Amino acid sequence: MHLAWGEEEVTFHEELCAFLDEHTPPEFERGFDYAGEAGDTDESGEVVPAWARAWQATLFDHGWMIPAYPPELGGRNATLVQTLVYLEELARRRVLRSFHYPGYGIVSPSLLEFGNDEQKRLVPAAVRGDTIWCIGMSEPNAGSDLAGLQTRATRDGDRFIINGQKVWTSYAMVAQKCFVYVRTDPDAPKHKGISLLIVDMDTPGIEVRPLRHLSRAAHFAEVFFTDVEVPAENIVGEVNDGWRITQGSLAHERAGLWVEGVCRLDATVSGLIEVARRRGLDQDAAVRRDIATMYEQASSLRALGYKGFASFAQGSSAPEHSYMKMATSEIGKAACEYGMQLQGAYGLVADPERGEENGRWTNYFFMSFANTIAGGSSEIQRNIIAQRVLGLPRS
Amino acid sequence: MDFSLSDDQVLLRDTARTMLAKECPASLVRAHVDDVTVADALWSKLSDFTALGDGPASDLFLFVEETGYVAAPGVFFPTVAMFAPLLQALDHELLPSVLAGEATGTVALAGADGHFVPNDEPVKTFVPEADRVDWVAVVDTGPKVRIIPAGDVALRQTRLVDFSRRHFEVDTANVKSDTLALDPAAFDDVVAHTTGALAAEMVGTSRRLLDMAIAYAKERIQFDVPIGSFQAIQHRLAECSLAVERSIAAVQYAGMTLDASDAERFRAVHVAKAAAGTAAMRATKDAAQVHGGIGYTWEHDLHLYFRRALASEYWLGTARWHHDRLAELLFER
Repeated sequence: MHLAWGEEEVTFHEELCAFLDEHTPPEFERGFDYAGEAGDTDESGEVVPAWARAWQATLFDHGWMIPAYPPELGGRNATLVQTLVYLEELARRRVLRSFHYPGYGIVSPSLLEFGNDEQKRLVPAAVRGDTIWCIGMSEPNAGSDLAGLQTRATRDGDRFIINGQKVWTSYAMVAQKCFVYVRTDPDAPKHKGISLLIVDMDTPGIEVRPLRHLSRAAHFAEVFFTDVEVPAENIVGEVNDGWRITQGSLAHERAGLWVEGVCRLDATVSGLIEVARRRGLDQDAAVRRDIATMYEQASSLRALGYKGFASFAQGSSAPEHSYMKMATSEIGKAACEYGMQLQGAYGLVADPERGEENGRWTNYFFMSFANTIAGGSSEIQRNIIAQRVLGLPRS
Repeated sequence: MDFSLSDDQVLLRDTARTMLAKECPASLVRAHVDDVTVADALWSKLSDFTALGDGPASDLFLFVEETGYVAAPGVFFPTVAMFAPLLQALDHELLPSVLAGEATGTVALAGADGHFVPNDEPVKTFVPEADRVDWVAVVDTGPKVRIIPAGDVALRQTRLVDFSRRHFEVDTANVKSDTLALDPAAFDDVVAHTTGALAAEMVGTSRRLLDMAIAYAKERIQFDVPIGSFQAIQHRLAECSLAVERSIAAVQYAGMTLDASDAERFRAVHVAKAAAGTAAMRATKDAAQVHGGIGYTWEHDLHLYFRRALASEYWLGTARWHHDRLAELLFER
């Protein structure tokens, strides 16, 4: 056990900081306020603004998009520990790699693990952000019970015909491609009849209807499939073996999320101290104790993240990820609500002239519900912890 | 930041686990309620590990987590986690014999208010095992320290709900002894070291309570199924295990900052003791609830660890007290 990074990490960190100092787009300095109609999108209201696309390409071209990948995939063959250094530095600066995570976060690792050679050729554009991807997983009747998905794909010669509906599909309104999870065997047990298809979003029969978030931003959509024809070679992995890939995809999603979750929580707690000062509440004993309690939770969670990372780096499965997903999102929500409460009657004001930080706390509070629901809700995480970590019997 | 244990640390932890499982069963903790001398046999084993009092905090914390798991009674904690660090800060001649397991000691610091903060009151409170050690180190403001033979001080036991660790009031009004001055900054580190060690011990006790609750939830059948298959039990224990895991990690981090003399160490120790206290209370209540009626009996062993966890939370600052001290650091008073 030791605190300091080794020389390899220090050099890596210096190179990263030099790159970020030079290239980070000024737009990140604006922060992510409650901006009414546009929500947390760019001022223009675009879901993926042009400057963000250029930034992602710059990261890729300099080997800083996914440092662990080889240079041809936008990386520099970084070690696991270097990757952690990278994620922390970005989070500390509140700089996002990309405005659309499915391509680099889910599609690329899944294709590299399960795709054929042809499909693997889609990876560089997905990581660079040249292709925007969406993930067709959730359905109106398949949320936490993902394996209950009903969108059908039937084989017809050298093609599949898809019929059904997806929902909560982030980025569907701007995506060129979609990872669609479909039922290919309705008679098999539900986990064993699912396949994964790559679908071009401009295929006839696909209709996208944007759905607004609670925060008014329109970041996800309903996607309807009516007799959508997909070439049979677009299947990823084997027919009816798609569930294995969903498990892989979600694991990739969770593996790096804790760093962002913890850094976001740290920043939120630091923000609470500043709000308390500005509101003249920094000598209030109850406020001080409440904020110190959240600091204790945030910093012990950070320690738990590192501890999990250490066992992950040594090859053990790291149950800490379920803890981290659940706790950073739940504590984050409570901290955002506290930021609103510190402002009294102004806690809900979204008027930049009146409220604290352009209604940022309200926006964070609204957004925090996404964190406790998406990617496996807190209730699902508790089930996972109870059954897979504590070894309690399935109900 | 690397949380992985070295091979030596894994060996230390595993050795401690094996030895303590054998030497400190629940029956010993139970027997200690009526006869404190049963801890002597345990001390004869634990005294092989007293050199930890002079080593890295990380190693000491790993070890005392295991003594907390078995609610070990006796003089090990005061000697190794309180007395030895103080002697080391004083560069005192007794240190070698303490590290060799030949001399034992405790520290008398808190005054009438019970807070572990230097004061000039003649009567010190919550002094552990003062009747079972060779030496009592009495700390007054300054800090000024007197190392006094335990037989020379007047003692009065303060009965607690916990039987596994005994506390005393120590009256030093009429004791003549040399006074040693200690650098205040060095003393802050001694207190941080001791507090961190108690947090480490507590997370072990919390782990024990959680393990007992999980085991019981797997074996207890109601409505024809193990109660651990019910989501109400599962989610309670999942949240409990999160609190325990967080506190274990916070303790490890505190040990690392102490070993590196990192500027974060005082914050980290407040975080560790507060997280450990919160987790211990949670584990205590959840374990008792999951055990149902059987856990509410004297004959079941649960209460031995339940009591130890409570007693650790209320000693050297409750979670609430540490949150308030942490706030002073976060808000710069």
